[in-house]
Amino acid sequence: MAEQVISPDLNFVKDIIASGGESLKKCYQCSTCTVVCNVTPDDKPFPRKEMMYAQWGMKDKLVSNPDIWLCHQCSDCTAYCPRGAKPGEVLNAVRKLSIRHVSMVPLFARIVQDPKLIWLLFAIPIALFFVFMPHKSLEFIRFDDKMVYHMFAPAEPHMYAPFVLKMIFGLTAVFSILSALTGIKRLWSGMKAQAGDVKSGGNLTGDIISSAKTIFAHSKFADCNVNRLRQWGHLLLVYSFVGLSISGIWALIYSYLFNFTGPYPFTDPMKLLSQASMLAFIAGIVIILYNRFAQAGKAGMGSYFDWIFLTIVSGIGATGILALALRLANVSAGYAAFYLHVVFVWLLLAYAPYSKFAHLFYRTTAMVFARHTNRES
Amino acid sequence: MPDVNRILVIGGGFSGLTTAVDAAETGAEVIVIEKNSYLGGRVAQLNKYFPKLCPPICGLEINFKRIKTNANITFHTMAEVESVSGGPGNYTVTVKLNPRYVNDNCTACDACAQACTAERPNEFNFGMNTTKAAYLPFNQAFPQKYVIDSSYCKGDCAKACKDACKYNAVDLDMKPGTITLNVGSIVVATGWNPYDADKLDILGFGKVKNVITNMMMERLASPTGPTAGKILRPSDGKPAQNIAFVQCAGSRDESHLPFCSYICCLASLKQTTYIREQNLESKATIFYIDIRTPGKYEKFYWKVKDDPNVSFIKGKVADIVQEQGSDDVIVTAEDMMTNKKVRMKFDMVVLATGMEPAGASKKIAGVKYNENGFALPDSGIYPAGCTKNPMDVARSAQDSTGAVLKALSKANSSGQGR
Amino acid sequence: MEKNIGLYICTGCSIGDSIDVEKLGNIAKNSLKIPVVKSHFAMCGKEGVELIKNDIKNEGVNTVVIAACSPRIKYEEFDFPGCIVERSPLRELAVWTQEDPEERQLAAEDYVKMHVIKAQKGDLPEPYMMETVKTILVIGGGISGMTSALQAANAGYQVVLVEKEAQLGGFANKLYKVVPAAMGEYSEPLIVDSDIADTVKAVESNQNITVYKSAKVEKTDGQPGAYDVTISSNGNSEVVKIGSIVLAAGWRPYDATKLEHLGYGVSKDVVTNIELEGIAKNNGGRILRPSDGKEAKKVAFIQCAGQRDPNHLPYCSAMCCTTSLKQARYVTQNSDATAMILYKDIRTPGRLEYYYKAAQNDPAVMMTKGDVTSVTDAGNGNLHVEMENSLLGEKVKIEADLVVLATGVVPATADDPILNLQYKQGPGLPDLELFDGFADSNFICFQYETRRTGVYAAGCVRQPMNMSEAQEDATGAALKAIQSAEHVAAGIAVHPRAWDMTYPDPFMQRCTSCKRCTEECPFGAIDEDEKGTPFYKPGRCRRCATCMGACPERIVSFKDYHVDMIGSMMKNVSVPSDDDKPRIIVLACENDAYPAIDTAALKHMKIDSAVRIIQLRCLGSTNLVWIADALSRGVDGMLLLGCKFGENYQCHFAKGSELADYRLSKVQETLGRLQLEAERVQMIQLAIDEYDNVPRIIGDFVERVKEIGPNPFKGF
Repeated sequence: MAEQVISPDLNFVKDIIASGGESLKKCYQCSTCTVVCNVTPDDKPFPRKEMMYAQWGMKDKLVSNPDIWLCHQCSDCTAYCPRGAKPGEVLNAVRKLSIRHVSMVPLFARIVQDPKLIWLLFAIPIALFFVFMPHKSLEFIRFDDKMVYHMFAPAEPHMYAPFVLKMIFGLTAVFSILSALTGIKRLWSGMKAQAGDVKSGGNLTGDIISSAKTIFAHSKFADCNVNRLRQWGHLLLVYSFVGLSISGIWALIYSYLFNFTGPYPFTDPMKLLSQASMLAFIAGIVIILYNRFAQAGKAGMGSYFDWIFLTIVSGIGATGILALALRLANVSAGYAAFYLHVVFVWLLLAYAPYSKFAHLFYRTTAMVFARHTNRES
Repeated sequence: MPDVNRILVIGGGFSGLTTAVDAAETGAEVIVIEKNSYLGGRVAQLNKYFPKLCPPICGLEINFKRIKTNANITFHTMAEVESVSGGPGNYTVTVKLNPRYVNDNCTACDACAQACTAERPNEFNFGMNTTKAAYLPFNQAFPQKYVIDSSYCKGDCAKACKDACKYNAVDLDMKPGTITLNVGSIVVATGWNPYDADKLDILGFGKVKNVITNMMMERLASPTGPTAGKILRPSDGKPAQNIAFVQCAGSRDESHLPFCSYICCLASLKQTTYIREQNLESKATIFYIDIRTPGKYEKFYWKVKDDPNVSFIKGKVADIVQEQGSDDVIVTAEDMMTNKKVRMKFDMVVLATGMEPAGASKKIAGVKYNENGFALPDSGIYPAGCTKNPMDVARSAQDSTGAVLKALSKANSSGQGR
Repeated sequence: MEKNIGLYICTGCSIGDSIDVEKLGNIAKNSLKIPVVKSHFAMCGKEGVELIKNDIKNEGVNTVVIAACSPRIKYEEFDFPGCIVERSPLRELAVWTQEDPEERQLAAEDYVKMHVIKAQKGDLPEPYMMETVKTILVIGGGISGMTSALQAANAGYQVVLVEKEAQLGGFANKLYKVVPAAMGEYSEPLIVDSDIADTVKAVESNQNITVYKSAKVEKTDGQPGAYDVTISSNGNSEVVKIGSIVLAAGWRPYDATKLEHLGYGVSKDVVTNIELEGIAKNNGGRILRPSDGKEAKKVAFIQCAGQRDPNHLPYCSAMCCTTSLKQARYVTQNSDATAMILYKDIRTPGRLEYYYKAAQNDPAVMMTKGDVTSVTDAGNGNLHVEMENSLLGEKVKIEADLVVLATGVVPATADDPILNLQYKQGPGLPDLELFDGFADSNFICFQYETRRTGVYAAGCVRQPMNMSEAQEDATGAALKAIQSAEHVAAGIAVHPRAWDMTYPDPFMQRCTSCKRCTEECPFGAIDEDEKGTPFYKPGRCRRCATCMGACPERIVSFKDYHVDMIGSMMKNVSVPSDDDKPRIIVLACENDAYPAIDTAALKHMKIDSAVRIIQLRCLGSTNLVWIADALSRGVDGMLLLGCKFGENYQCHFAKGSELADYRLSKVQETLGRLQLEAERVQMIQLAIDEYDNVPRIIGDFVERVKEIGPNPFKGF
């Protein structure tokens, strides 16, 4: 390997600090973090060396580093760090910068990552749906004196809104998928360039499958100590997202193939799935929030990057439940709740490859890469 | 009107003794208050000093001799300062005297110990063995006087001790007392305690059988220790041949001791020589963050580093467990120089636990401390040695000599002078 | 003094049970002619002590021999001011260590005889009085010297301060900022202005301090309490009377031109840490590159630039890590500059760790461990610092626009005696080579002890240290200097025999000017007059009596310790006529070997009955005549137990045990000529904690002597 010339990037250091890694500079390289980390490989373990790169602002060594994604933010490192350098938080900040680095539209990354742009983050969907949702005729769309949210934008031919909304969500989904794919591709090639001439294991499909198994089993999370409880919260959240996605597609199938529109009876299997997912979602978010607060002393309070994501996720849950409750109570304020619900869902969808949600794509990518290069088995 | 040349020295460890001797030899009247039953403090428990590998009792003997020959020094053992009031030139100090149950008639003839039927854990050896409840703290203890531990030796045992003494030295009716002293200035030399290794949860102390502290290692290596100087591991008494030293066990750690304890690197280097001296085959591995051998101590580091059986791994140990099915100990660290997480097996592990200033656990009313329990100078009150900053014996000696001049100047400045 | 000896035999602690005390008393009365012989079952008790006091008062006893326990205990009880007191340790040396009743009795008789003789031969000490001054000379006007001067002056002593530069302040004058004083965690600002100017002012305005600037010590003649120090300043020389000296001559940075591999002298943009202070100071804190005057944005600090390197300085300079952490702050005052600290180990011991923690917590301070191998031109006007084994990679280059070498401390004494002592043994402090030129102490427990009485080193001339440490150190040295001046004035020795009022009193008429005493004195206390006759300077003396041991004419005596005294003790040791029973005399150093024997006795360990043990002040006082006399009397062997010597010597008089060993090598030749086996006399190094080995060491020696066979002079 050619001798490397190091010229520290002070701005990158400052970026990490601004992104929630303010304790970064306290690290004195003892490697307690690496030892207490149960998810790191033994060879070239993390996060000690990442702390070093971060302190020196060695952006190249970090943004395409699979290890920052192999980290599951157990925060055992943070809990045991003798200097209060909080490696878990620093890596979280680095992941945020990595997301920005590989993002297709960096502006999107900035909007969701920069606390100063929080107004813009919310202003976009609020404005978007303010324009395209027929909120002004809320009463008009009561059918048989029953509130119908999916008819919020009724499927009447003369109404353009539903189509536009579907278009919005459709395009957003396409944008997200494209963003994610671009990010994944950039990350992958970045990691490959970083890794140099590391031998690949060959069977990419097999690596993907085994990574997926690990993810669905949440076996990595089980290795965490301080944040052990989080394993269950995260597991519930993941499965609730899966459940909600399936029920969403299911609903599309109902409405388009069978012309069967909602509100669906609670006995419908699709509805059952979505309600079960909803409960799992609520339980998950409660566990995660509880764990955050309970372990804040040891694991740190997290950064804006975490909290904006948690806010969006919680927002979906809260507005969803509120909307449901208000609908069942037949209170028209439910429309407003539903409106907000749509705003939050859009935020999640649109920013998925830019917010903390992106870890779904990038951690998976990194795990596959690690397997593919025999870094992990 | 207090005697302005009167200095109170709180603590009879190396710092306190140095202060006392130097002050008395400069003409001051000195009173030493020591909580233990003997003078010498922590260094009395050490086997050897780094870097010379000479016995601590050697320097103590000189200082004891100077105390014996100097009428300006009085000392109280088993005594604790309860409070300090007043100001420079005129302090009032209350001292609690705990009963020794043996008076000055004691000739150290050992008759009471022979008659004594009770045993007590030997705290001098960190509980690794026991002594009779009538005992001499250690072979070369000064003052050479026995002590009776009344919490273990009661009733018939106490009577047996009393009856065995031909010199009426055993006095079971001794009661705790309080004396009040009037002094011109005060030197606080209360020293340090080994940091409580039970608090280091991931380092296994108390859970893994063969994990000991560096101070315990001193006792194990000492001829007066529980194993008569043979380094045997606690679980099965086997000679410990392959030993890991875990540096910064508690030190440089915000959750424990946020400062560096100064001595632990040198102590571990020194302790490798104990093992290496006992057995040609023995091995030592030191896990460290930074090796801190300031000044001339660097050469001692080199000397140890030259031994092929002593290895150094840069990386702090953060996991110590007992091997399944054996008494061996598995230590995990990252070897930063090879960038690998390593799990290594040892016969025994020594935690280089740091020094916690005495002020962290017990503060003297009237003395000021910082957030970690280090005593602070205050006009007329001067901390010396490890009471104010972690340091080695050499620096403690030097620092204590310095404290004398400050105390003398202060004792004089507000009085009538010499 | 007309001696009226009282012998007091204690019968307690089993002495009475295992020894025929009456017989002992009769021997004392009849053959030793002791007028007062008494026994008591607890001589140390109130009654026993009263008994002695009464005899002193009413019977005129003025020389008290106590045959009881070791002199190491009951020292308070057996303290009779105005009387000579000798302690014969029957309990330890006869009762506890001997098993055979007959041998016990014999040992007890010998020890009583020996100590009675010792008492008979001794005299009460009288202090050596001479005209003294208590003025303290401080050499060096840096922070250490000024602190010593102020501390001594504030304690009421006259101080003479000699500074080689034209102004006081030393290195502190050159600093742009200093590390703030903190008692706990540090908070911003982490660099503050130094208050050196205030200290200078305090020194210069202090009425007790006389300052000589642009000055140096030409000559230091005389002795503690009465030094004649010639100070030259601006062409004038002046002789000043001085009592004692604080050597605070400071340090200089290691010569960076020897660090060419680190780019010094090759690139203008490689500077030392001291030069960086100048850059910062002269440019109002801005760090400008020497090459082009541009503000440095990427500054690399190379730690251990010369230190910890067998090719340069074998020690660590202790202060450079903190200095670089401080200087990194100079750099990062510029918000887009970075400071990179490249270290082997960061050494911020004790509470300085707080400073490390605070100083590194700066976005622009980057640190890594690594071994810097070279500094080369990067080709773009910058420099490449090449590193191996770094935490950033096995082999990396770091780009920097300015490189700072954290060079180390070289003590002023490394190549300049500074003191210019007019001592026969030379102008500087001995042993400097043991400490790489530092004027350090070999004693862990006694940090200010040099081998020149009255001279106490402080600050970086003694050990590498930082400014606050230097101030503490200087205070201690000032105290030692005061103590020394006071002791000399009172005619008392200083450490380690700080109670001792005796002094060497040579009978010069018999001196042959062989100069052995002059050469051997560990403290250079003996000079020579114009004719080459030794000239004793008691002020320099530590009372080890090495001179007494060195003198072939046996002319050096102390009031309570002389060749004849110990020789007579030996002559009174019984020599069994039985060939199977060897007699061996053990000479034991009273500081280490004797306490070791004492402890073995306390543990009731058994010691071979062949030996009789005599305490010496120091093994250095061993006079060969003792050996010759004893062996010619039929004593079968002599064992000398002294402290460890060599590089890490433990002898409190530095050279005593080593000299005894050296002399033995000489006597062994003589023994050979007398057809006596050289192995009959041996020296063994014994530390105070090796008491468990005492029986074995003695036993082995006795066995060896037995193998050699009885002394042919036996019975003559």
